[in-house]
Amino acid sequence: MAISAQTDADAAAEAPTPGLITRLARGNIELWANLLVITWAIVFMAWQGTGFAITIGTVFAIWAILAVSLNLVVGFTGLLSVGHVGFFGIGAYTMAVLTSNASYEAARTDAIPTYGWPFFAALPVAVVLAGVVAVVVGVAFNRFRDDIFVLVSFGFAIIAFNTFLNLREITRGAFGIHEIEKPAIGGWVIDGELEFLLFSLALLALVVLVSWLVVSSSFGRVLTAIREDEEAIAVFGYRVTHYKLAIWVISAMMAGLAGGLFASWTSFIDPNSFILLESMLLVSIVILGGLATIWGSLLGAMAFVLMEEGMRFLPFIPPEYVGQARQIVLGVLLVLLMLFRPQGLVGKYRL
Amino acid sequence: MIGPTIEGGQGGVMRVSWWKRAVFFGLAALLVPLAAACPSDEEEATDDAAEAPFRIGVMESATGPGETYGRVAIQAKQMAVDEINAAGGVNGRMIELIVEDSKCSAQDAITAYNKLTDVDGVKIILGTSCSGAMLGAAPLAEADGVILFSGLATNPDIADAGDYIFRTSLSDAQLGIDTGNVLWADGVRTLATITEATDYAEGVRRTSVAQFEARGGELVGEERYPSDTTDFRTQLTKLFDVNPDALHVAAQSEFAGGTIVKQARELGYEGPIYGEIVVVGTTALEIAGDAATGVKAIITDLDPANELGQNVLTRFRENYGYVTLPWYLGSAYDDVYITAECLKQTNDDQDADGFRDCLYDITWSGAIGDNYTFDENGEVVGLANVVIEVLSAGERTEANNGYRVLGAAPTE
Repeated sequence: MAISAQTDADAAAEAPTPGLITRLARGNIELWANLLVITWAIVFMAWQGTGFAITIGTVFAIWAILAVSLNLVVGFTGLLSVGHVGFFGIGAYTMAVLTSNASYEAARTDAIPTYGWPFFAALPVAVVLAGVVAVVVGVAFNRFRDDIFVLVSFGFAIIAFNTFLNLREITRGAFGIHEIEKPAIGGWVIDGELEFLLFSLALLALVVLVSWLVVSSSFGRVLTAIREDEEAIAVFGYRVTHYKLAIWVISAMMAGLAGGLFASWTSFIDPNSFILLESMLLVSIVILGGLATIWGSLLGAMAFVLMEEGMRFLPFIPPEYVGQARQIVLGVLLVLLMLFRPQGLVGKYRL
Repeated sequence: MIGPTIEGGQGGVMRVSWWKRAVFFGLAALLVPLAAACPSDEEEATDDAAEAPFRIGVMESATGPGETYGRVAIQAKQMAVDEINAAGGVNGRMIELIVEDSKCSAQDAITAYNKLTDVDGVKIILGTSCSGAMLGAAPLAEADGVILFSGLATNPDIADAGDYIFRTSLSDAQLGIDTGNVLWADGVRTLATITEATDYAEGVRRTSVAQFEARGGELVGEERYPSDTTDFRTQLTKLFDVNPDALHVAAQSEFAGGTIVKQARELGYEGPIYGEIVVVGTTALEIAGDAATGVKAIITDLDPANELGQNVLTRFRENYGYVTLPWYLGSAYDDVYITAECLKQTNDDQDADGFRDCLYDITWSGAIGDNYTFDENGEVVGLANVVIEVLSAGERTEANNGYRVLGAAPTE
């Protein structure tokens, strides 16, 4: 047949159009992954109907901000950091300390001073403080690469956790901080769950926009080059350490933003929310979604949250094993995904 | 520039442009509020049938750091429900427990809470076993008018958490006052403390020391350790250097509690050791061995004379093959029977206000004590801590839990 002599591309062009989706999907596993996760999300929400979907949506938004920001460092720049939770915690504690109005009896628990700031005054401070810490830490970390960088970022996560736990005059240590403010615009307090979800999604959109601008700029291309070959790009005259420090700080500030949002959402935080395990889950999300793709991080966060929360509906499990079964199935799913899609749902690179 | 080659590395595979992705994502995001607007008709269906079970939510830490407590609580509650259902249920209707894992974290408590209230439509939730999770879910429960009823959470802050928040567990504040009094009554004048850096242990230490100092005692040394510590010798040596009259141990994990006691004796310390319930737990005593002999603790304990309490332990052992934290086991068990009694009165698992009023009025005699009530903060009244002393390793049996009860904690 004549067609056999043609290239694949010609065949695709000349074949009768079989419909947009089929055409896009042919050989495009990326699109299939997208469709799968999104359909899954929609079915899940439609099935559950009510406010539980809103809760999951808010959890998703917070994880997604974290995942997108971490991907800037891990995926685009090639610095595998497991210390992201530290910046998340700094943002959360800044929000908590500045906005909480709770009063504590000094006799029975640690009492800390209250400042009573509004949410929108505390949020920029949370972001900036995370950034300032990132500059200090980043200057030191800049000399490290690859495996050593993983270790020092691991160290940072441990230090951050222990600071939250032991700086009791400010963080109340293990007692945690209560009554963290909800955002308020004028007299309108965003305390409804739906309103808070929309607010979180708006912040997520902002983070995605900034990240997209960063990675699609010439600055972003230098970062990608650093990941591919740091010496080569240095030979071209780029100050590699400056670029790495810049993206590290941007990423940390976004994590600080997520932290402020998280503290306001839960209204109570204690150091247990900022353990190293959270960082590991975060790295899993980034790899699950795909390195060096913003869209992948969004998908990864959504897939992860849906998996974790979807497990609540596992049938036929005796009540006392529900929790354990969730963890096991989640672990198995992650292993399977990595076996069959080591580059993540929509990613192109392996770690 | 090297950059562009990476994007171009795709070969001939057709790519989806970024705006198409944005559209997909926008649609997905839009669907969240849309889905929320759809009413769920699942719940109404159950109301019609008079025989439908009462649906009660349970949130406990089934996994994570509080797993020991959470599992005992879930199993004790399930056992109580099975008993009630086997005896014909409440007003002829069965009780159904819907169990969710709140871990030990505020975030997981919030998602578990929303799943229970939104998806399952429950208005009465028994739990949680961790104070952090309780404090995360409490503001939501208070705002929604949902009952949160715990048998294990002991953080003093829970007293102020709201009108719908109840517990049958005693606040750490009371434990601290009792501990301070016991120390003073035993003639301790200078005290050293070693404390796990968790809200529970820190709360016990803080209130104990406050009461001890109020009585005139002096704190001469304090050490804290993070939860996964295994070697306490350096910290203990530091404390023993100042020659305190007594050592107070507040632990969150039995492993740490037992190890501290053991290492303190290995270092040659011969003075009295005081602790709380974790330090004299079954596992802790096994680890400490004979070193624990004579350790005093101020704990909530099941009264050996309370027949119901002892029967519950026996049945639990038959069902699950082990017993740990007997008092908390009994507390979780009692919570279900109190719930059943209030459901008998309201006959509606959606009537949280009626349930709340019932709890305020109720006087209950159960496994953990007789004639106890709830005060205006939802705190249990009428239960007391007791002072116990650990027996020598040879005298410890399953029946005596390894210690003998010395009596109620002195109030003076």
